[in-house]
Amino acid sequence: MPLRNTAEAYGSLARFLHWSIVLLIVPQYFIAEAAEELPKGLERLQLMDWHKSLGMLVLLLTLARIGWKIMNRGLPGPIGNPWQRKAAAAGHGLLYLLVLAQPISGWAMSSAANYPVTLFGWFQFPALVAESHDLHESLEDVHEVLFYLMLAVAVVHILAALYHHIVLKDSVLRRMSPFSRPQA
Amino acid sequence: MALLTALALGPAAVDARAAAMAWTVDPAHSQLTFRPRLAGGEFAGRFERFDATIRFDPADLSHSSLQVVVDLLSARTGDTDRDTALQGSDFFQTTRWPKGTFTSTGIKSLGDGHFEATGKLTLRDVTRDVRLQFRFDPAAPSGGAARMIGSSNLRRLEFGVGQGDWRGTEWLDDEVRIEFDLALRAAR
Repeated sequence: MPLRNTAEAYGSLARFLHWSIVLLIVPQYFIAEAAEELPKGLERLQLMDWHKSLGMLVLLLTLARIGWKIMNRGLPGPIGNPWQRKAAAAGHGLLYLLVLAQPISGWAMSSAANYPVTLFGWFQFPALVAESHDLHESLEDVHEVLFYLMLAVAVVHILAALYHHIVLKDSVLRRMSPFSRPQA
Repeated sequence: MALLTALALGPAAVDARAAAMAWTVDPAHSQLTFRPRLAGGEFAGRFERFDATIRFDPADLSHSSLQVVVDLLSARTGDTDRDTALQGSDFFQTTRWPKGTFTSTGIKSLGDGHFEATGKLTLRDVTRDVRLQFRFDPAAPSGGAARMIGSSNLRRLEFGVGQGDWRGTEWLDDEVRIEFDLALRAAR
């Protein structure tokens, strides 16, 4: 599989970024829920630290994915009629926006409560906003609402990919799948 | 205020030849900060209430002394859960030991307006020798406050600040940096 995208399929780097972001996001919800169940203390802090580090990794990988997309314009040709293409472009744009906004809102939430944000303790990100109890409370709501929005758009994204694969029987799902080789 | 202090301390404090110049701290323009490292990241907390009795003359260090009493209940970190934890038995346990105190035993010059104070710090029921380095900026001739700006690296576990899970240093470093920036006005 070529590193770069071709006219037929996404290259290995775009696929790696797509699927690693998926694999990192899925456990995030469960880690946060598990942490909420714990009494305030070291164990909860450890889980939240994992949640924050994984979230910052998602942010960095998403920025890399967008950067690679911009540098690597030879995307697989569009599939579907004009309205489907527009819907797909809008859906993907929204998904990128949400996947970026979610870790940023979490980062700001930590900053507002004066908690450091690091990447697994290797280095510390600067505070995004000044310490503020009210802002922290609002951002907590924002972080939760963004999660449900992201979940909703992701479900539509998955259903659309399956619709292409099963009903339309085109190459949309295959060309981003982590294993399949592009078909001529 | 100075008169009250002098009366309270008795005749010894009034004898200017025995002690260096007395200063009062302007709390509105002074800060006492602590910087723990949590999960590899540093954050700053502050003590909002503390009293300092400072006699300091750069030219008369043998009669200079610092005494600081910190109200540990006034520790603030921007998160009420964490503030509550600091008051609890795992950290300061303020129900038993509400104050931290530092009393200098000696001050020496490091040159160029910099000094080092050695002294006894008490937290919880533990007293240990600590050193703090500071700079002294005399008040500008036009008026305003003199400043005493300095820091010290403490080992929290020496004082038992960190019980239970928090005895470990993997998630919360043993070393905690303390910084102070005091605005001083001559006590008269």
